[in-house]
Amino acid sequence: MAALLFHRATAVWLLLVGATGLSWGFGHGMGFGDDFRYGTVAVVIIAFIKLRLVFLEFMELRHAPAGLRWAFEGWTVVVCASVVFLYWSGT
Amino acid sequence: MGVPQVAASRGGRIPGEAGVWFFILGDMVMFGLFFTVFVYYRAADVELFAAAQHSLNQTYGALNTLLLLTSSWFVVHAVESARGDHAPRARALLACAFLCGLGFLVVKYFEYGEKIRAGLTITSNDFFMYYYMLTGIHLLHVTLGMGVLAYLWQRLRGGTQLGAHMSALESGASFWHMVDILWIVLFALVYLMR
Amino acid sequence: MNTRNQLLCAWCGVAFAILFTLGFWPLSHFMPPPSPNASALDVATMYREHTNQIRLGLLVMMGASGCILPFAAVISAQMKRMEDGPSVLSYLQLASGALGVVFFIMPCLLWSIAAFRPERDAELIQLMNDAGWMVFLMPFTTFMVQNIAIGLAVLGDRSTQPVFPRWVAYLNFWVAVLFLPGGLLTFFKTGPFAWNGLFAFWVPFVVFFTWYVVMFALLRKGIIAQAQPAGAR
Repeated sequence: MAALLFHRATAVWLLLVGATGLSWGFGHGMGFGDDFRYGTVAVVIIAFIKLRLVFLEFMELRHAPAGLRWAFEGWTVVVCASVVFLYWSGT
Repeated sequence: MGVPQVAASRGGRIPGEAGVWFFILGDMVMFGLFFTVFVYYRAADVELFAAAQHSLNQTYGALNTLLLLTSSWFVVHAVESARGDHAPRARALLACAFLCGLGFLVVKYFEYGEKIRAGLTITSNDFFMYYYMLTGIHLLHVTLGMGVLAYLWQRLRGGTQLGAHMSALESGASFWHMVDILWIVLFALVYLMR
Repeated sequence: MNTRNQLLCAWCGVAFAILFTLGFWPLSHFMPPPSPNASALDVATMYREHTNQIRLGLLVMMGASGCILPFAAVISAQMKRMEDGPSVLSYLQLASGALGVVFFIMPCLLWSIAAFRPERDAELIQLMNDAGWMVFLMPFTTFMVQNIAIGLAVLGDRSTQPVFPRWVAYLNFWVAVLFLPGGLLTFFKTGPFAWNGLFAFWVPFVVFFTWYVVMFALLRKGIIAQAQPAGAR
């Protein structure tokens, strides 16, 4: 049981849950005062960081051939940038 | 007596079967398109989207996020257990992941029920069109993933010689993690974006 | 080995793709698709202004659709090499592929009916136009079944020299998933899920023809490989 808990995957899980909590806060007005736009951008960026954690650690892409890993990194950058850009241009 | 891991020719190994990554990336491209289109149309009608978002149950959304994150944790350990040839433990962990998925479905059932009873359906307005389409197609993926988990649970029944199953196990695990990833973005964009 | 006939069937797929696009695009004026939100008068005007062009384009599209059949047949012929025993997946592919032809021919007929008496009441023309578009883009079932059958057969191929590389299975599964949103066009008259939208039209359109090209290339390779004497592989 101890082996399951004191494990890299558990550390990652804690980080993910913590990041979720942080997103929740930012999404509900914490930390950015009146300007919710920055809060939302933070939420989006955190989401893509979480995503990166999952594909690097859980999906083991950290140890995958560079091509595969960079396909995911590329997707992350493109979609995150598009979303942030489109969001910001609408506000 | 670990299971031999096949190393790729140079620098790095691909988890599971190479071909499944094609599907995973393809699916992610499709969802990437969905997400971008959603934010694009949202930017064109922020007031409607922001107002409609108030009707969403954020608690359910957060609960679903936690359920999927936890299910991924179970899957990671299931794969590792299988690598160590511990079939019963791997199966138990897969079952736990499956139950998390089931939990996700139950929450969705209540969430959709709540919306529909309030008269908010797929044709109510643009926000809800995207809400139902995005979460609906994701839900389909969750169900598919649960099917995959059940299949893997079944396949490990032999209890020994897990080497032959590792490829399928890793492929299925990767698919499940993708389902988790998609929800992470979905939750941020649909529930939390103000 | 029947190589020549198989290759002929495979090339029919190419013929379909080219001819259908020709009929659909420059001839029928259906590119981009008319909006489901357009008024009856706008729709009728389109049919009235380009009547003979539309009729001709539809005829070309309908003729081209016949070429889907040999393509489906040769896919099943190659799939049979992948299956041990009763080749149920090959039958499934053949059945669903053949049935799929209906959803190319029927719309052409319905649109032809719309173009047959352009002096008709605008609402009636709109009705037939609606019917054509919905029969064309809404049915995703047979295509999904077809792609899933191919995918499963490829994954189940246990021969020493697999007919198709394994990623083809995943390509087919992905294509199957991408046809799904089309069914939902029944709910929408505007937006990306309407019949002229990104996910109900453009994505399936691009994906469908890409699939044809990829499958053609693979089939050609597979057919030629099959023709080699066993020792030469």
